[in-house]
Amino acid sequence: MNIKRYILRRLLGLAPLLLAISFFSFVIIQLSPSDPAEVAIRVNAMTPTPELIAEMRKEMGLDKPFFERYLTWLGHALHGDLGKRYVDGKSVSEELLKALPPTLLLAATSAVLMLTCSIVAAFVAVLFEGRWPDLLLRALIFLGTSVPAFWAGLLFIWLFAVHLDLLPTGGLEGPSSLILPAITLALPYISAYSRLLRNSMVKTTQEHFVLYAKALGRSRKAILRHIFRNSLQATVTGLGMSLPKLVAGTFVVECIFAWPGLGRLCVTAIFNRDFPVIQAYVLLMAVLFVVSNLCMDICAALVDPRLRERGLQ
Amino acid sequence: MLRKVLVCAVCLCSLCLASLAEADKSELIYGSTKDIRDINPHLYGGEMAAQGMVFEPLVINSKDGVKPWLAESWDISKDGKVYTFHLRKGVTFSDGTPFTAQAVKMNFDAILDNRLRHAWLDMMNEIERGEVVDEHTFRLILKNPYYPTLIELGLLRPFRFLSPKCFIDGQSKKGVKGLVGTGPWVLSEHKDNQYALFTVNSTYWGEKPKLASVRWKVMPDHQAILLGLQKGEIDLIFGADGDMINLDSFDAIKRQGKYVTAISQPIASRAILLNAHQPFTKERDVRLALQYAIDKEGIVQGILNGSEEVASTLMATSVQYCDVPLEKRNYDPAKAAALLEAAGWKKGKDGMLSKDGQKASVRLYYNSNNAQERSISEFMQGDLKNLGIELKIIGEEKQAYLDRQKSGDFELQYSLSWGTPYDPQSYLSSWRIPAHGDYQAQVGMERKAWLDATITKLMIEPDEQKRRDMYRDVLTYVHAEGVYIPLSYSRTKAVHVKELKGVEFGLSQYEIPFEKMSF
Repeated sequence: MNIKRYILRRLLGLAPLLLAISFFSFVIIQLSPSDPAEVAIRVNAMTPTPELIAEMRKEMGLDKPFFERYLTWLGHALHGDLGKRYVDGKSVSEELLKALPPTLLLAATSAVLMLTCSIVAAFVAVLFEGRWPDLLLRALIFLGTSVPAFWAGLLFIWLFAVHLDLLPTGGLEGPSSLILPAITLALPYISAYSRLLRNSMVKTTQEHFVLYAKALGRSRKAILRHIFRNSLQATVTGLGMSLPKLVAGTFVVECIFAWPGLGRLCVTAIFNRDFPVIQAYVLLMAVLFVVSNLCMDICAALVDPRLRERGLQ
Repeated sequence: MLRKVLVCAVCLCSLCLASLAEADKSELIYGSTKDIRDINPHLYGGEMAAQGMVFEPLVINSKDGVKPWLAESWDISKDGKVYTFHLRKGVTFSDGTPFTAQAVKMNFDAILDNRLRHAWLDMMNEIERGEVVDEHTFRLILKNPYYPTLIELGLLRPFRFLSPKCFIDGQSKKGVKGLVGTGPWVLSEHKDNQYALFTVNSTYWGEKPKLASVRWKVMPDHQAILLGLQKGEIDLIFGADGDMINLDSFDAIKRQGKYVTAISQPIASRAILLNAHQPFTKERDVRLALQYAIDKEGIVQGILNGSEEVASTLMATSVQYCDVPLEKRNYDPAKAAALLEAAGWKKGKDGMLSKDGQKASVRLYYNSNNAQERSISEFMQGDLKNLGIELKIIGEEKQAYLDRQKSGDFELQYSLSWGTPYDPQSYLSSWRIPAHGDYQAQVGMERKAWLDATITKLMIEPDEQKRRDMYRDVLTYVHAEGVYIPLSYSRTKAVHVKELKGVEFGLSQYEIPFEKMSF
């Protein structure tokens, strides 16, 4: 019963938050120094003459007052219509929906890679704590965190696609083209989570219950399992933010690997100042973060009743 | 026995694969940082090279002037206001619709219906109407004897022909039902931001391309394109002004010798605009001093790797009407210093110039996406510092950079002319539009009103000699005012695999003659 009330309460709290987000994503674009009518003209390589600007302002509804424009936009957005692209007049919602699956595929593959690699790395590091495999992993983690994605991506293309001729350089052409972008996207996360998990596992190893389990003569495997489960809290909390970040953080990777996803759609829109697309992207990402955060909170509340109580108070 | 069978199977497979690879060689893969986008020939959103593959004009601009294309011949009335085009017979759009005078009129009407959007093109204001004379004769009636009519009809857009079946309510400005032209290529498949596939138009009226298809592959990252070439995923990189390949990479590939590199004839003018409407650059002597202060040879050799020719005038003398004797202003720091001193700019203890308590400081804006422009700016920074002028260089995103052009809030800005066949008429024509940086830079000139009026007049001057004189006056005045520092004449570059033959450059920097290429 309690959990249902908790979820309901959180969902009700979501409505004003989403409204505020929609307002800010609309306002931010309005604050841009460029005149949207002029941008819409220039982005199509036309000359913005005063007559054309006037016609375009009327066509785009820019001659109406600010709040009227916001309410119209919000009304349309609630019906799934996020406006039209300046570049070619195509529906923004349709373009976002078209670009979403490749990005989700990339993000999901990266998430799987990230979890598998960081868990394996953390286990190896804990098992060999202070010895060479641990030191080597720490050096690699350091490297993985420091290398910028655009450089790592190009190095991967050079090594695996050009030099060894194993994989394609980019594009979305079959499963093999997914490997390099997914690794590049996952790389900094693998490093971050390996370190996080390793450190909390090393810390947990020193807990009394581990000593107690050892004293009881439990097997090494069983003890490791306990250590692992008790070290997961920080990682799970972090994942709540990292999963939407994986979706939102594909800009560089998608550009280097010619991946036809959301990141590239948005980068192109930013360069063209295609405001309706940028606005929709900001809105989509904000909603993604809020919803993902909510899901993680609900998961945490399901696991830990104390959080539910606190939430209801 | 089993081993023998296996060996045979492997041999057969590799033979099949080899023949497949051989067969694939009729497809050219062109790597581009940009998608073709919407190639509606009557709008400006798409890639021009792709528009040119599918859609054709009545006449075409060539090295030897305007040549017949979809029109076999034409007559011009004595007053220069009526053009009668005799259309080529037996031409069909790739959807089977015949190319007739009715189709031509429909296209012209749709273009004229969207007149406001074609404001850059002077001709739009000069067309009175189009008429169908008979099935294969079309008449174009102008308000004035506009001299570049034929040249502008031959441009890549907007006067190219879309199949009448593709129009929506007789219009093309709000989208079209299909992208069907009469050209040598048909757009068979287009995946947004991934690739576009052009196949040969089997009903093409002219000489059919030797290649079976061209795959336009989008790779947004410049380095990734080069890596794609090395891996063999793409066969050709082709582009102007560093938008596809930068000069350092071009040089490295050339030295490697594994690929063929080619460079076109000088095609457009690269210059720096000096704003005559800003405090420091408003004095003519200061602008002239800046002309002598920049080491253009150094820029061409040091940054452009000697690949371009130093420009001493805004327009190359090879451009029509631009063979005007103008004084060359070569690098001469002593002369620059003398001019500045005469204008009242004195060197302070810190080595910087000042006048009436004002320091000599100017801002140069460039498109931050163009690494080459930044390098040139940095080079100029050194030259000007030696003279005691501080140059602040500011890279801006393309749209912000264009906003600034319009507002005129700059002392120095990059300027690249549109190249043949747009130079000189379309480029000069654009000087009269306030949204262009050229207009803003020239506003401070004493005779700007005269300049604009003369450009307007010369476009409709029927007498060749008078027109030539007017061009001479305009170019001489602009040169004397020193609002442009001509740097170099840019060229188009191409890199391709050795097997690809027939890679040539078109007349304009925006077209790629795929139809002449073969393996």
